[in-house]
Amino acid sequence: MHRHIKRRGARLAAIGAIAVGAMALTACGPDVTGGGAEAGDDRLQAPTAQGPEGEITIWDRSGDLFEVFEAAIDDFNEKYPNITVNHEAVDIDAKLQNTLITGTDVPDGVFLDDAKVGGFAEYLWDLSDVLDPYVADIAPQKVDVNSVDGGIYGVPFDLDPGLLWYNAAALESAGVDATQIETYDDLIDAARAYQAAKPGSKPIHLEQSAFLGQLQLEMYANQLGTSIADENGDLRLDSPEYEQILTFLDTVQSEGLGTRAEYLSPTDIAELENGNQVFYPWAIWFSFAPQQLLPETSGDWRAMELPAWEAEGARSGAMGGSSFVLPKDGENSELAWLFYEFLMFDEAGYTAVWGPNDIYPTGLNTSIPSYSPAANPSAPLFEPVDALGGQDLWAVATEAGAQIPGGTPIPSWWAGAVDYLGNDVQRMLDGDLTPDQVLTGSTEAIQTNLIDRQ
Amino acid sequence: MTALPATHSAARQRRRRPGSALIRRRLAPYLFVLPFLAIFFAFSVYPLVFTARLSFTNWRGTGAAEWVGWDNYTYLLSNPGFWGSLGNSAVLWLLIVPIQLVLGVIVAVLLNSATLRLRGMYRVAFIVPFVTPLVAVAQIWIVLFDQQYGAVNAVLGGLGLPDVGWLTTSEWSKPTLALLFLWKTTGFIVIILLSGLQSIDNSLYEAADLDGASRVRQIWSITVPLLRRTIMFAVVLQTLAVFQMFAEPFVVTQGGPYNSTTTAGYYLYNHITRADLGTGAANSFLLVILVMALSLLFVRTLRAKD
Amino acid sequence: MADMTLTERDQRETSAPSTSATELGPVGARGSRRSQLRIGTHAFLLLLMAGFLAPVAWALVSSFKPANDIIRAPLSFDPSTFTLDNYVAMFHDVPIAHGFLNTAIVLIAKGAITMFFAPLAAYAFAKYEFVGKNIIFGAVLITLMLPTIVLIIPLLLEMKTFGWVNTYQALILPGAVDAFAIFWMRQVISAVPDELLDAARVDGCSEFGIFWRVIVPVIRPGLAGLAVLTIMNIYNDFVWPVVIASSEQMATLQVVLSTLAQNITGNRIGADYATVTGELLAASSVALIPLLVLFIVLQRHFINGILAGSVKG
Repeated sequence: MHRHIKRRGARLAAIGAIAVGAMALTACGPDVTGGGAEAGDDRLQAPTAQGPEGEITIWDRSGDLFEVFEAAIDDFNEKYPNITVNHEAVDIDAKLQNTLITGTDVPDGVFLDDAKVGGFAEYLWDLSDVLDPYVADIAPQKVDVNSVDGGIYGVPFDLDPGLLWYNAAALESAGVDATQIETYDDLIDAARAYQAAKPGSKPIHLEQSAFLGQLQLEMYANQLGTSIADENGDLRLDSPEYEQILTFLDTVQSEGLGTRAEYLSPTDIAELENGNQVFYPWAIWFSFAPQQLLPETSGDWRAMELPAWEAEGARSGAMGGSSFVLPKDGENSELAWLFYEFLMFDEAGYTAVWGPNDIYPTGLNTSIPSYSPAANPSAPLFEPVDALGGQDLWAVATEAGAQIPGGTPIPSWWAGAVDYLGNDVQRMLDGDLTPDQVLTGSTEAIQTNLIDRQ
Repeated sequence: MTALPATHSAARQRRRRPGSALIRRRLAPYLFVLPFLAIFFAFSVYPLVFTARLSFTNWRGTGAAEWVGWDNYTYLLSNPGFWGSLGNSAVLWLLIVPIQLVLGVIVAVLLNSATLRLRGMYRVAFIVPFVTPLVAVAQIWIVLFDQQYGAVNAVLGGLGLPDVGWLTTSEWSKPTLALLFLWKTTGFIVIILLSGLQSIDNSLYEAADLDGASRVRQIWSITVPLLRRTIMFAVVLQTLAVFQMFAEPFVVTQGGPYNSTTTAGYYLYNHITRADLGTGAANSFLLVILVMALSLLFVRTLRAKD
Repeated sequence: MADMTLTERDQRETSAPSTSATELGPVGARGSRRSQLRIGTHAFLLLLMAGFLAPVAWALVSSFKPANDIIRAPLSFDPSTFTLDNYVAMFHDVPIAHGFLNTAIVLIAKGAITMFFAPLAAYAFAKYEFVGKNIIFGAVLITLMLPTIVLIIPLLLEMKTFGWVNTYQALILPGAVDAFAIFWMRQVISAVPDELLDAARVDGCSEFGIFWRVIVPVIRPGLAGLAVLTIMNIYNDFVWPVVIASSEQMATLQVVLSTLAQNITGNRIGADYATVTGELLAASSVALIPLLVLFIVLQRHFINGILAGSVKG
């Protein structure tokens, strides 16, 4: 009896809750009829006043790079003494989207992964006009990744050329001359030769993280002048270029020439240290591994341009990278532009970032500037690297960087594609899918779940 | 244990009390719930209704929202990714909840004994994981469960067992994540169960002791039945927690490998990070329906054993 | 929905709280079998405790290792390399002291609100009839079942309307007196026999007096449990604070931690991976200490509360 009453109460409660909801539906929720942003007034203009003054808030990720920018603020203030920079270390991935949606306390400038710029474009200033004097001298790949529908939404920061990292000492003792490698076929031959000399070794790194694996795949694709989608956002995955790349990875895997490991996980580090893994096609930011994480083989490592996909092809592609974006809701966006203009395009600025400083006594050698006057092979900003046997990494990287093809935009849904393309590449490396299956399967899944849901 | 007469107290009151007290008694609950209601309506009901409305739009956080009817719901219901995330959560539930309950009851019963020495120390120890910041736990797990160089496989190797790809294979990633969840939240379940144990009359144990019933038998025939309500509560809570689980896969596996740890909660979060807010909202209401159905099912099942 | 709540049948099952405070366990001399049992109990608990503590111990020990060694040789510890570098770097790089202060402010305010108003409201839900009771409780259950992350965007827009972004109000009020606290306190208070309340009424107690003088003392163990969970939830909450406290002045401890961790979880790319890991472990170790101390203190109250509740019953 009692229970019966209770149960009817339950039903009442549920109905009641729905009724409350239905009544309130008309009262709150997103504005269904509100207008979108008007076009035309979203292009940032540089300040015209003499001696600009004001306060700007700049978000960066915490860590060493934050310290580098922090130190560069002093140099900025020598040129612009009346601009106060509030420099904050922020969990950008977690905060930016929400801050932009609420439009409250929006920073004037934000450090952002290139792959994320497109997703925020409608909240950001189009920088086409202010970048106009510089754009011809910026690496085309960096302009492309910041471009959406003809506008440029980020100040390009670093260029991260892909390089072939190799353990010169180990290869030499096995009688393999890495410097002769010119194409990926040569790389496979060299790997076979090394494996013959050192049985049980698996010379080439095969990335096991779906995210980084996809990032590396885009590096290879960039080398071939393509990327996952074109400037209209149309998929171009099912193409001979991607087929060629995946076939290469599949060959490395099926012939047992690859070490499957996540980038710099304990397993990865151990295999690098014991000489089983001697080829690492990766962005320039791998450079910190020999400097900090590989004491046994530090000094044995060298970097060279990537092999080419066909003779005379480009010898590098970009992998990762970041830019600075300026939200439209920022209070002093035009002053933030002056800040980034100084850091990236003024010699005092880029020297403060990449040159020797308190944080990096020999300079910041995990990336190079994307602005070509700053990336002059014969005018190094950072010094030769001891962990690379004193190699002039600057020259290698800037020469490789100059070859990176353009025409490779990053769609706003790029990170979401990891669930499909990134995972399918890993399945292929497990031996469960063929390159063809990866391309057709991912194409369909990305079209349905990402592009059609835009 | 003295049986309480199940008199309806309200009826009795009406006979005994003068009018003004009755009025005060009628008014009292409204005053008592008022502060809660103010907060609840402002910060729960309003966003809830907003979200309900959002689930029928394609709003992306800016500009105008377009009414899309049931489109977000039908997309999800016909999407293998959505069903896969529910499947992952179901498997995690099976790996977590039964083990946690058995372990939780045993530990709570042991810790509830007044004669147990070092009881304070144990209580603190079991709560430590619950207190440890999750971001640190993630790093700990990644290092301890590394396939070749992690401590866990080192121990297995010492016992002559083969290496396990704890975080790198889709077969083992769920047990590894379940272990993390068990490790992190069992202390919480112990607290809940301990508070439930307080309501059990000790004369029952004394009587059973005199009858010569073993300790294990006492737990099975006295503790568990009388704890049924608390256990049910714990099951419902952990069901919610497992199906909403988001932070753990987020910091340890990012849903991988191969989406094997993309839980229902994590899948939902993916829509939100892509600014696909409408689909995220629809996904969360589908989850509410599922979790509600499951909760009712558990309550019925545990009641049925009366 | 209301099926989940207490019926009178259950009430009878659970009976009144214990009358004997000291003899919580079964007593009786059974000599060696008992001591064997006791040894077995301790062996089991110690083993389990080791499993529970080992990962944290690893983090603590590692925080005193050179940062690069944490990544390179996670399982070794060479006492000669003992270093405070991670701590020095962490205190220099992140405003952790300010984070502690903010967390303390939020903890006290939000905790006090929850600890007072949740039992009070739950008392009304458990022991009174009033208009809309079932509807409201149904809504409470729905919010309990709704994944909290989905409410973040609407809440943010609301905070914007109120002008509360980056304020203490925004950190304190949303999530105070949460659905879980109501749900659980209602369970606990439902178990208190109506006879106790009636007796108090006969003694001339006011309705609030019944809550304060009868309910609160009896449910003290439950309150202690709620206190523990509330404190931990507030202390460890990071999703909402990260989102709402975007300025450094408002960053709580967990916001500071997640800012550090972002470089590892979201972005394993970069030169400072090892450094940040070291700093993160140092920060986590520091973050652990106050809560551990608090819990050691509180758990004594937890036990005292249990005794008090039993005696009163």
